Amino acid sequence: MAGRNVSDFTSRDPVADYLAAVTAKLAVPVAARVAITDELRDGLLEALESHQGRGCSHAEATAAAIAEFGDPATVAAAFGPELGAVQARRVALGLLVTGPLVGLAWIVAVAVNALPPWRHQLIGPWLALPLVGVALAVAGPALGLTVATTGRLSRRLGPVVHLATLPLTAAAVAALAAVVADLTLLGIISGHALTSPGSPVWALIVLAASASLTRVTVAGRAACRCLATRAALT
Amino acid sequence: MRAEVLKGHLDGLLLATLASGPRHGYAIKEALRAGSGGQFDLPTGTVYPALHRLERAGLIRGSWSTVNGRRRRSYALTPAGRRTLSEERSSWREFSAAVTALLGDSPWPAAT
Repeated sequence: MAGRNVSDFTSRDPVADYLAAVTAKLAVPVAARVAITDELRDGLLEALESHQGRGCSHAEATAAAIAEFGDPATVAAAFGPELGAVQARRVALGLLVTGPLVGLAWIVAVAVNALPPWRHQLIGPWLALPLVGVALAVAGPALGLTVATTGRLSRRLGPVVHLATLPLTAAAVAALAAVVADLTLLGIISGHALTSPGSPVWALIVLAASASLTRVTVAGRAACRCLATRAALT
Repeated sequence: MRAEVLKGHLDGLLLATLASGPRHGYAIKEALRAGSGGQFDLPTGTVYPALHRLERAGLIRGSWSTVNGRRRRSYALTPAGRRTLSEERSSWREFSAAVTALLGDSPWPAAT
């Protein structure tokens, strides 16, 4: 094991220390961390038992098993691209699921209140509406790219999928585009509320605005995390 | 042998270790080592991310079981994995035959 041996792990359970050293470097949800830890622990104990079966003492077998697994930094780094792909895919699928719901909430709010776009008018703050279209035009291909490079299609895409940062970049772009779309819609509706008279059905507008506000927060965080993971991989 | 040497072939080799039936991560690594006469002795910990990648690509399927009181994840080829392994084998036979023809001791055809 490059630069590290069993004596470097200080507790009475070097296997636990080794697993902690590997997983401490992985930025993953708790469930994924537990699954990785369990799988690596089983492999380590299999290796340990294998060495004991060849006549090693417990301490020797433990040291040999840990050495066989590789330096914790190397193992954690090997997980990096895979975990990045999983993270990017999760973000993309989340956006694909929530996108139509948020869109539907806005369409219903606009239709029921007969807001300017429903009357084919882009006036006042609604002049910014094409920006939503631009954001969606960016998000769509970015989502498609993320899903394609992180799923079963990836086998058919060849060398492009070996760019570990590509899905993370695409997912971050899609998430940021969703943030732009939502902020634009929130800005438009705020401007409309301030400048237009009338008594719209506020419940529908508040519902749509809440959906967008939630997605701004979630998608913004997701984009930041994707970019952070991407930076860690480069 | 360094892991870089296996780049481009690791997926096919991992799939091949599962051709005879499901195995867990350490058994797959040991099958690689033993099957190559000790040539392919990768750091065991780096085999697991590769298995996760193959699972995400739909070529293998992982399942949990409990063995000796601890959780174990075993992997088996999916139908897509079997097809890919078959393609990898055909591709390797063609590639190795061509390289053997060029690097072998037999003389090259005269240039015209």
